[in-house]
Amino acid sequence: MSMEATVGSKIKKQSLFDAISAFTHSTTIRLLLGNRKSKIGLVILIAYIFIGIFGGLLSPYSPTAYEFAANLPPSLAHPLGTTAYGQDVFSQILTGIGPTLAVGFLTGIIATGISVLAGLSAGFSSEGVSSAINAVTNVFLVIPGIVIIMLFGAFFLGDHTSLGYIAMIAILSLTGWAWGARTLRSQALSTAKNDFITSSLLIGEKRLSIIFRQIIRAMLPIIVSNFFFTAIYGVMGLTFVEYLGVGNLLEVNLGTTLYWAINNQAYITGEWWWIMPPSILISLLMFTFVLINFGVDEISNPSLRKY
Amino acid sequence: MADYPQNIESKITGGNNEMSSNVRRKPGIPYVYIIKKTITFIVVLFSALTVNFILPRLLPGNPAEVVYSTLVREGATSISPAYLHQLEVEYGISNAPILVQYFHYLVALFHGNLGVSLSYFPEPVSSILLTALPWTLYLVVTATVISFFMGNRLGRYAGLNRNARKDVIIDITTLFFQSFPAFVLGFILLLIFSVELPLFPIGEAYGRSVTPGLNFPFIVSVIYHSILPLLTIILTSLGGWVIGLRNNIIPSLNSDFIKFSRSLGFRKSQINRIAYRNALLPNLTGFAMSLGFSVTGVLLEEEIFSYPGIGLYMITAIDSLDYPLIQGIFLLVIIAVLVANFIVDILYGILDPRIRQEVG
Repeated sequence: MSMEATVGSKIKKQSLFDAISAFTHSTTIRLLLGNRKSKIGLVILIAYIFIGIFGGLLSPYSPTAYEFAANLPPSLAHPLGTTAYGQDVFSQILTGIGPTLAVGFLTGIIATGISVLAGLSAGFSSEGVSSAINAVTNVFLVIPGIVIIMLFGAFFLGDHTSLGYIAMIAILSLTGWAWGARTLRSQALSTAKNDFITSSLLIGEKRLSIIFRQIIRAMLPIIVSNFFFTAIYGVMGLTFVEYLGVGNLLEVNLGTTLYWAINNQAYITGEWWWIMPPSILISLLMFTFVLINFGVDEISNPSLRKY
Repeated sequence: MADYPQNIESKITGGNNEMSSNVRRKPGIPYVYIIKKTITFIVVLFSALTVNFILPRLLPGNPAEVVYSTLVREGATSISPAYLHQLEVEYGISNAPILVQYFHYLVALFHGNLGVSLSYFPEPVSSILLTALPWTLYLVVTATVISFFMGNRLGRYAGLNRNARKDVIIDITTLFFQSFPAFVLGFILLLIFSVELPLFPIGEAYGRSVTPGLNFPFIVSVIYHSILPLLTIILTSLGGWVIGLRNNIIPSLNSDFIKFSRSLGFRKSQINRIAYRNALLPNLTGFAMSLGFSVTGVLLEEEIFSYPGIGLYMITAIDSLDYPLIQGIFLLVIIAVLVANFIVDILYGILDPRIRQEVG
């Protein structure tokens, strides 16, 4: 009995090991790590995630306490100086990276989920449904998300609330899914034309099973690249929401730090230590996603690879 | 004999696409396509109008009361309770059935009546938007067009030199700038080129010493004041065009019709031109979409540059909860973007028969 159990666990371990080695040796990972740009991107992203998780614990002061002299330039006690309200900028940055990342990732996941659903159902349903989804996609594609954020944000403000993280992620997902849906739709249509799909249909495999087991797998690189694009939009959108002043301005994230710095015109009065760190960190985060996508692009489009 | 290669070239570019074999090319104006597009346009337009109508009615209280209490709080003296009634009339708020209210709302819209602004009381929203629109339009159109041409040329150069150092530098630099939210890059440029090195004005659309009108000093001043705002939008939107074109021209250079042209002995410059034209098409269809991107950038950067466009009023409107102005901006931007897309769609349908089939 016990021997069987150990054999079982050995087999399990063996298969786990196999799975891991298959994962690390898979073309996907090899290409991601083989591409210098996406390797750099992944390293920076891991650093961001680390600060995102532990930043709050590492921060020397409370990010919101107004306990110091205002507008102190950087010093040993305050590596990034203080704000016009006497808050420690360094602590704000360390604490703010986590929520910023979370908004980006969650927007990325939700918006990509919507694009996959919309793209696949537009690709595989009757002509009427398909063209209806297509029309909605095209509308969301061309309408600048910023005016929708403005309209909803203003009405939240009128109701004496503001866009909290949940409302923010909802609005950003709503305004950010369309681009991916269109790409996925055309990809789904061209994948569906392949011979192996036709033969699966002839063997008698169910449509749903074909969609989930074959087509989604074939489209995985595009879905991943779409995730990073929508995550970029999520981070960008967070700064839009905060910049317009319709967000939760008392929370600490890179967008709110930026909002207060801009609101005090730190770019004209010269407190660069207040305004530059959030600006650079936001832009670097988005650039990181772009770098990773270089590798993902080479996976989905083999003709871009170096030989 | 001299024009022989060009002849083949045009034949090849005309028939390169794998889809073309099963597409019937109908000559003339595609009426069915235009009708379909027009119906979609009208449906979408009315959806936007309807959202704009419904949202205020989901607010606690009614918009007239919110507006009225805001005015009272801000101490507008010319306000009397009778004005509340007038506001309610203007908003079409009554105990009438919602469909009747909707009808009155549409009638008011078609008369160009968007209500009265609160933060610029008593100026009508429509006249504020009319003075602001040209500035925003100027920035959006100029920046998009320049970015489109520059981006495609750079992308062509990068793609033809793929994996060379030039390619990597162009890709990374343009994508790096694209990673900035427009307003962030805006104040960084302002900080460097207006505050630290006083090369450009700190803001506004033209100098205080010139008189607006069609005179030379005014035009020069407008261009001078718009350099930094334009540069911001161009830098943040270049990357999309560059990478789009680069990633299209690379597979295009490996495709069969290019190999065939090579075997026919075309010069390298001719081959590059054929590949470029084919890679350009997907970027062309992205043009309308990129307008929306530029609009976002411009709306957000105008406050940074104190540029008197729609974006500047948008920030003021949100700060003072000026609902009539907010709703006016919402409608204006959406209608402008939809109309631009409608026109572009129709032009594409006429220029490229494949698109008609695709849209179906």
